[in-house]
Amino acid sequence: TATTTSATTTAVAAAAAAITNNHVIARAENGASPFTNTNVRPPITNLIPQSAASNVNDDEPINIPNLGPYLTFNPQIVMYTTQPNSKRWVLQAITQSIREIIGPVVERSVAIASVSTRELVTKDFSMESDENKMRKAAHLMAQSLAGSLAMVTCKDPLRTSMVNHMRVLFTANGLSEVIAEQAAMLTVADNLDLVCAVIEKTAMEKVTMEVDDALMNAFASRKKHREQQQQRGGAQPYFDMDIFAMSRYPSTLPEPLRPKPNGLGVNQLRIYEDFTRIPRSAAAVAAASAGQMMDQQQSLMDQQQRLLRTNGRPDSHGSGGYGNNAILPAFDGGNQHQQQQQQQQQQASAHQILERFAQ
Amino acid sequence: HEHQTAQKLQQLDEEKIYGLVVELLNPATREQALLDLSKKREQYEDLALVLWYSYGVIPVLLQEIVTVYPLLTPPTLSGGASNRVCNALALLQCVANHNETRSLFLQAHIPLYLYPYLNTTSKTRPFEYLRLTSLGVIGALVKNDNPEVISFLLSTEIIPLCLRIMETGSELSKTVAIFVVQKILLDETGLYYICQTYERFYAVATVLHNMVNQLVENQAMRLLKHVIRCYLRLSENPRAREALRQCLPEPLRDSTFHQALKDDIATKRCLGQLLLNLSDGIN
Repeated sequence: TATTTSATTTAVAAAAAAITNNHVIARAENGASPFTNTNVRPPITNLIPQSAASNVNDDEPINIPNLGPYLTFNPQIVMYTTQPNSKRWVLQAITQSIREIIGPVVERSVAIASVSTRELVTKDFSMESDENKMRKAAHLMAQSLAGSLAMVTCKDPLRTSMVNHMRVLFTANGLSEVIAEQAAMLTVADNLDLVCAVIEKTAMEKVTMEVDDALMNAFASRKKHREQQQQRGGAQPYFDMDIFAMSRYPSTLPEPLRPKPNGLGVNQLRIYEDFTRIPRSAAAVAAASAGQMMDQQQSLMDQQQRLLRTNGRPDSHGSGGYGNNAILPAFDGGNQHQQQQQQQQQQASAHQILERFAQ
Repeated sequence: HEHQTAQKLQQLDEEKIYGLVVELLNPATREQALLDLSKKREQYEDLALVLWYSYGVIPVLLQEIVTVYPLLTPPTLSGGASNRVCNALALLQCVANHNETRSLFLQAHIPLYLYPYLNTTSKTRPFEYLRLTSLGVIGALVKNDNPEVISFLLSTEIIPLCLRIMETGSELSKTVAIFVVQKILLDETGLYYICQTYERFYAVATVLHNMVNQLVENQAMRLLKHVIRCYLRLSENPRAREALRQCLPEPLRDSTFHQALKDDIATKRCLGQLLLNLSDGIN
């Protein structure tokens, strides 16, 4: 099959090249993948729909924090003790990789997340007159989506790029190919979460500004409406005509599924607060689902108690249904769980380190 | 009387759906609600509208999608987690499929959240299922030949993602992926886009060529149909026609697939038309 494939490739290339000579098909201007504009990660970073392109992003260069003091150096790698300079190579390689990848990844994640947030928050908050509630929900949603997208997009390319840069620097400084490769792989594995967290955090910060920009008019019209009502002593509920003119929905939906004229309920707002509980690592996913199992039991108990108390239909949300602190202790308490917790603490520490940059 | 009964039944159905949607909003009852709703999605015509316009449902489905991102690299998605997110995807497919929600779905850029799934390469069942279900959502978008859908997709990375699945996916995934590419080609802008540069045409032609070579061995009829239709459509663009004269795979020119196409008159006719388009003298 290998020969067939290469024969195929040659045949197609020859034919395509032949027509290019006739200027029938114009050659793409850059050498990247035919369908993309950047060469960071062929399939995933690409043209962002024009409407989503932002001014906010282009203005300022992205600040990359000095990660030096926070890097992990595996004691198994002798070089780090015998040649203290080698730690500088690691930092240099990591910084290079971040610079290559952070721009397109953050831009794409921010563009997508802010558009989704704008569209969905505008719809869900169409009858909410308090722009502060709307802003809070929009921030939570956009930060979570942009962070998740940035993380899932950057992880593989960052790993590859960091390993490459480190290997090159290590061999240039006299290490053998094999040792350089091993040292690079180990060091990248130890520090990948930290580096991903830098990119994630940058995306989360940028998207906040982007969303404020995108929803500026929505916030202003709510404020204006409230001030007008106060002046006139009126109590007209707010509603976004554009949303209601679109469809016979949502007015035909039953109560809990519909935005309410006198503001959204606590349970409704919690759906947006749940965006802060999206796990960012495999270990955190495991811990969260363990926490949710606990939560389900709690919620069932709460519902039963409510049933006993009121003798009526329980509130469909249950009262404890949303109270999951992603890290509730699980009931088995076994070894596996402890490992999960440890891993999760490691993940948390990468984020804690980043928090310090903000101060 | 019969009419009344039907109406009453419909009302009951509607109430059941609303109940499930309310359960979907509650994390404690969500997993079951996802399963039940995805089973019912073909019975209730307006489900897409209820899902889209109900407060919080789409944000909740997005939460379901991004929650499994950390399990993609390294690939650790379990069967259970894959099932759960695929049920969420089934509901999004319903929204993608409905005429009154399709544009809104695109405007909110929801399809882009599925691309990390399409970008995975693990061959395990949970991942195959995840890719196939995600492709199903994109398939539902392109099914109705809507130019808005095509121009949205062309502004994203969907073509390279589909091309890779066409090369390496399971037979079913390959079929949905080539269906998406075929639908893009059938659109005027789509055909123009793909034939606009040497690299784009080269990428598509190479993957199609490799597929033909694979088909010689496994004779997967369903795929062969799509491959032939993609070539036929490419041959309608003058630049691509010129290139195809030199690089159309030999098995499509000789009698390799005669037996396989014996009973499929429509596809046989497509192949005939393709060869006619490429024959000299006709230009």
